[in-house]
Amino acid sequence: MEKDKKEISIIHPRPSSIVAALYTLRDLNVDVAILHGPPGCSFKHARLLEEDGIHVVTTSLDENGFVFGGHDELVALLGKVTEMFNPKLIGIVGTCVSMIIGEELHDAVLEANPDVPVIEVEVHAGYRNNTKGVLFALESALDSGIITEKEFDRQKILLEEATMVEKRHGAASKEYLAPSRGDVKYKVAQRIIELLKEGKRGITIMNAKKETGYMFADITVAVNEIAKQLGVESNIVNMANIDDTLGLPRVRHHAKCIMDDFKERGIKIHHIIGGMDEYPIAGDIAGKLIEEKYSDYDFVVITGVPHAIPMESISGMEIVSVTNGPRQVLPMKEMGHDHVIVEIDLHPKTLGVNNIVESEFGATLREVAKEE
Amino acid sequence: MNDSKKPKIIAIYGKGGIGKSSTASNVAAACADEGYKVMIIGCDPKSDSSITLLGGKRIPTILDLIRKGVDITEDDVVFEGYNGVKCVEVGGPEPGIGCAGRGIIVAIQKLKKISKVQDECDLVIYDVPGDIVCGGFVAPIRKGLVSEAYVLTSGEYMPLYAANNICRGLSKINTPLSGVICNARNVSREEEIVGKFAEEIGSDLIAFIPKEQIVQDCERDGFSVMEKAPDSEIAQVYRNLARAIMSRNKSVMANALEDERLRELTR
Ligand SMILES: Nc1ncnc2c1ncn2[C@@H]1O[C@H](COP(=O)(O)OP(=O)(O)O)[C@@H](O)[C@H]1O
Ligand code: SF4
Ligand SMILES: [Mg+2]
Repeated sequence: MEKDKKEISIIHPRPSSIVAALYTLRDLNVDVAILHGPPGCSFKHARLLEEDGIHVVTTSLDENGFVFGGHDELVALLGKVTEMFNPKLIGIVGTCVSMIIGEELHDAVLEANPDVPVIEVEVHAGYRNNTKGVLFALESALDSGIITEKEFDRQKILLEEATMVEKRHGAASKEYLAPSRGDVKYKVAQRIIELLKEGKRGITIMNAKKETGYMFADITVAVNEIAKQLGVESNIVNMANIDDTLGLPRVRHHAKCIMDDFKERGIKIHHIIGGMDEYPIAGDIAGKLIEEKYSDYDFVVITGVPHAIPMESISGMEIVSVTNGPRQVLPMKEMGHDHVIVEIDLHPKTLGVNNIVESEFGATLREVAKEE
Repeated sequence: MNDSKKPKIIAIYGKGGIGKSSTASNVAAACADEGYKVMIIGCDPKSDSSITLLGGKRIPTILDLIRKGVDITEDDVVFEGYNGVKCVEVGGPEPGIGCAGRGIIVAIQKLKKISKVQDECDLVIYDVPGDIVCGGFVAPIRKGLVSEAYVLTSGEYMPLYAANNICRGLSKINTPLSGVICNARNVSREEEIVGKFAEEIGSDLIAFIPKEQIVQDCERDGFSVMEKAPDSEIAQVYRNLARAIMSRNKSVMANALEDERLRELTR
C-alpha cells in the first residue's frame, strides 16, 4: 500500500480531460464528435474544433436528463448525425454528468447501430492530469481497431512524458501561475538581429505540439530569412520535430505540410528531432545534438514547448523562447530563459490550415530587419 | 475444481433488509465448503456483505483507500475469509452525502484493473444494495461483469413488489434472470405465492429458505451459519441453494407482472 506523492492542487483554469479527448478524436480523424452531456460543456474548444473541420454536437442533457438518464437522447443524436453528416467515423465523449449518473455509451451505440465505427470515450473532467482524456480515447480507438497496439504503446509513453514535462516546468508545476504576455517582441527581435549582425552563431529549435507548428515554424523561417539578408545564413542551425513518418495520420500530415513549406522557402532543416507528437521527448534529442555538435553556439531560439529542452545543454547560450501559453512565461524565466515571448491566440489560427501561418514574432522580426 | 470454464458471476437483488447479504455470505461459504474458489464483492456503502465471513471483522474498503489517495494493490482490498472465500468491500460515502452510485462504478473499475482474482474463481457474488435506485447500482451488470442475476424475496407484498420492479429493471437493461429465491418471513402460503410469482414472470423458484433464529444468532457472533452451525437444518438449505446456483444454466428475460396481478397473487 503506497500513498501517492502529495500532488499539488492547481487552482488556475486548465483544459479538461474532456477537451483532451475531443482533440484526440480529431487526431484520429473522426468526422463527428458527440459530447454526451449538458449544453455548453467544453464550448470554447468544441467551437475551435469545428474550425478544424470536424463536426461537434451535444446531447444537451438538461435537468430531466440528469435525473432520468440520457440514453434516448444519445441514440437519437447518433441517428441524426449519421443522416446529417454522413460520417465515416464517429466519436462519443462522456462528460461529468453522464459519467456520474452511469450512462452506458456502448448501450446507445448498440441500439442506434450506425454502420460506421464509433469510438466511445468514457471520460469526465475530474482528472488532475488532462492527458487521461487522451489515454481513454486511444484505449477506445485501440479496442475498435482504429489504431495498432504499437501506436498505442508509443502514444502512452509520450503521454506520460508530456505529463512529466508539464509537472516539471510547465502549467502543472505550481499551484497557481499568473498568465503573462511575456517580453516585448520588438525588443527581442532587435536583440536577435543584433546577435546575427555580430556574427554570432545560433540554433533554432522548433519543438511544437502538433498543429501549433504551423505558426511556430514561421519563426524558424523569419530567423533564417534575416540571417540570409545579413549574409550569415551559415551561422544558423535548424532543428524541428517534423518527422512525417511518426504519429497518427493527421499529425503526419501536419509534419509533411510544414516540411514542404520549409523546402519551398529554401529553409534547410539540419536535424529532424522527432514527430509532431513527440514534443515531450524531442527536447532531449535536441539537447544531445547540441552537446555533441553545437555546445559552443551563442544563442538559441526555441519555439513550441521550449521547457522540454534540458537546460544543461543550453545554459551557456542566450535563450529566446516562444510559447503560446501565457502561464508558461514564469516557469521558463525561472528555468533561466533570457527572453520569453508569448504568441497570444496562436492555436485558433493554426486550426484548419495546411500551410505555415505568419506569427506575430516572425512579423516583428521582419519589420525590425527592414527598419535597420 | 473449475479448470477452463469462465467463472460464474452472479448478483443477488431484492428489497433492502430482505436477506441478500446473509444469503450471499452463506452461499459463498457453502460453495467454498464444496471446494469451489469463491469471491464475494460487497457493493453496499454499508460494507456489511463480508462481515460474517471474516469473524465479525471489517475490512478496508476500496473507496476508503481511493479517498485517501492510496495507490491500491490487490492485497490492500482483497481479503481471505472463511474457507478461503475472497472478500472485497466497495464502501461508499456517508448516507446523504456525495454519490454512492458513482462510487460503485469507480470502485469496480478499480478492482478490475488491480486484481485478476475474479478470473480465477468458480463463483463471484456481487452483493448489491436494496433496490436499483440509479445507474451505479447496475454497474456490475452494465460493465459486463455479472452474468447471472437472482432475485430474493419473501411472500410479503412489499418485497414482492420490489422484486417485480427489479425484474422490470433487469429486462430494461437486457439482463436475463436466472432464478427467484424465497427467504421466508413466515407469512401465510409463502412458498406457494413466491413459487407462483416465479412461474408467472417466466422463471423458477430455486430455493425456499426458512426463517430461523439461528441465522441471527450466528450473525450476532460474526459468523455465517455454515461456519458456526454447519449441522443445522438451514445449513443444508444453503448447501442445496449453492449447488443449485452452481449447476444452473437457465435464464430468462423476466416478464414483470402488472401491479393488479401482483396484488391478486398475495391475496
Ligand atoms: N432466513 C433467515 N432467517 C432469519 N433471519 C434472517 C434470514 N435471512 C436474513 N435474516 C436476517 O435479516 C437481517 C437482514 O438481512 P441482510 O442480509 O442484511 O439483508 P439485505 O442484505 O437484503 O439488506 C439480518 O439480520 C439477517 O440475519
Ligand atoms: S462540469 Fe463537467 S459536464 Fe459540466 S460543463 Fe463542466 S466539464 Fe462539462
Ligand atoms: Mg445487504
